[in-house]
Amino acid sequence: MSEILNANPTIRSAADLPSRRREPTKKTKTQRPFGLLSSTIPDSAYTPDPFNPSSSPESEGSDNDEEVEPIDEQEIYDLIAPIQDPEHPLTLGSLSVVNLPDITLSSTLPPTSLSNPSRPAITTVTVLVTPTITHCSLATVIGLGVRVRLEQALPPRFRVDVRIKEGTHSTAEQVNRQLGDKERVAAALENGTLMGVLRKMLEGC
Amino acid sequence: MAAISFIAGLNPPASSRAWCSTPHPTLPILATATGTSLRIYSLNSLTLLSTITGGHKRSIRSCAWKPGNSDTATIATGSFDASVGIWSQDEDDNEEWKFAIVLDGHESEVKSVAWSTGGNLLATCSRDKSVWIWEEVGEDDYETVAVLQEHEGDVKCVKWHPEEELLASASYDDDIRLWREDIDDWGCIAVLRGHQSTVWAIDWEPLSGRDETVGSRLVSCSDDVTIRIWKKSPGQEERQAQSRLSIIKSSSAEEWTEEAQLPKTHVRTIYSVAWSKDTHRIVSVGGDGKIVVYAEDKEASKQWQVVAVHECGHQEFEINHVAWTRAKIVGGSVQEVVVTTGDDGEVKLWAVS
Repeated sequence: MSEILNANPTIRSAADLPSRRREPTKKTKTQRPFGLLSSTIPDSAYTPDPFNPSSSPESEGSDNDEEVEPIDEQEIYDLIAPIQDPEHPLTLGSLSVVNLPDITLSSTLPPTSLSNPSRPAITTVTVLVTPTITHCSLATVIGLGVRVRLEQALPPRFRVDVRIKEGTHSTAEQVNRQLGDKERVAAALENGTLMGVLRKMLEGC
Repeated sequence: MAAISFIAGLNPPASSRAWCSTPHPTLPILATATGTSLRIYSLNSLTLLSTITGGHKRSIRSCAWKPGNSDTATIATGSFDASVGIWSQDEDDNEEWKFAIVLDGHESEVKSVAWSTGGNLLATCSRDKSVWIWEEVGEDDYETVAVLQEHEGDVKCVKWHPEEELLASASYDDDIRLWREDIDDWGCIAVLRGHQSTVWAIDWEPLSGRDETVGSRLVSCSDDVTIRIWKKSPGQEERQAQSRLSIIKSSSAEEWTEEAQLPKTHVRTIYSVAWSKDTHRIVSVGGDGKIVVYAEDKEASKQWQVVAVHECGHQEFEINHVAWTRAKIVGGSVQEVVVTTGDDGEVKLWAVS
């Protein structure tokens, strides 16, 4: 990164970032689009600290696919907020590149079906990313970082859709197409240079 | 409603994502692309026979068996390392495979490879937006006969017509293009427009069972979660015949139109679609993990119905590829089966009643 694209980004202080610890009852059951699963464990039983990576929820065991885990928007936020911006020594959370209200969970396949009662539920996580400036050429790398982070941390029953928030980027559609293309993402992850950049971004996660 | 029932998984499965599984056209073997290796399974014992490694530096995305009556099998692989490999089975030890030749030319990931029915032409396509056609000019000797660069995005899939030297390609630019050789040059003779997003895969209607007056149709599946059937417009042959009589050389363009859309069943990207030789049904798979089988209405052609759906065919994983083949299932007779390949590395066989 020889030239800094956005020399003066707006930075939110840590105290302003959303966290379950400070606002345990911020979301009520009815407000949650995916309340069915997230309400199975009371909020008080689960208070990860987004600023302490060692307590981040992915250590809950992503290899146990059978168990339906209570994952909600806050937890998704906690997974991606500590990702480092590729050009600033700041996190995507503090730069407001990722924001809690821009994370949604929706059911792609409901948990059970009459014809196949044993089949798993499939949930889609949608994250809208707000680049710091509208022509940020790093938008694809940031989006890729978010997608990779979530695919590594979440169980395979989650589908991850990462898109640029509407109206915040000049080539959003092009970036969205690339981020949504599984084959392109897979090939990108076999590119050593790009993986180096991503590894650095995910170091603090 | 028919049912899709699980027969067996090939054993052992790959440890990570498998992209595709291609059954051999005549021998009871199947090749699965996973990571930088190719796994050859027996469709009789349903077990792994060989693992071919060492040829590619990055993941193998697709593989295709060379048609022909040779005693030993030959397979082409397309890899993210931008190269195409051709591998031959050892004459003395059928479980040994040797890297015959590497075809270099593409600038970035090779996405799909396909042999023409005669086995003399190999088509390859890449993220570099091009389609290459290679001709076998001698043993392990291939020449580039065409580099087709009219797509405006990654070319995801190439497939040859079952009897003509007519090639179809599907792209990230939402289009499908058809290519033929005219006098000496390969050129685009039709652009099939209609999909609203990346066209991931295509397949030709097999010769058996189709309406011979119309010719083979093409089926395509897309990120727009639709599956469409395309056909050459009737009357085209007549018009071409007339134009041949005129002094001015006519354009070789053909008119292809969308004939039907299959009932919408998938809710995530549809990655693969296949048309059955035996029963003429179509099967599709995708990111939602569903396996869907469709049949054309016998009375009202062009009307398609969903005859069976199986959810979560690979549990919670995405399904990347689907194919039809025939297999002699242990203790049974030879039957038509569906082969699915998933992100879990599993290759599964299914019976459709």
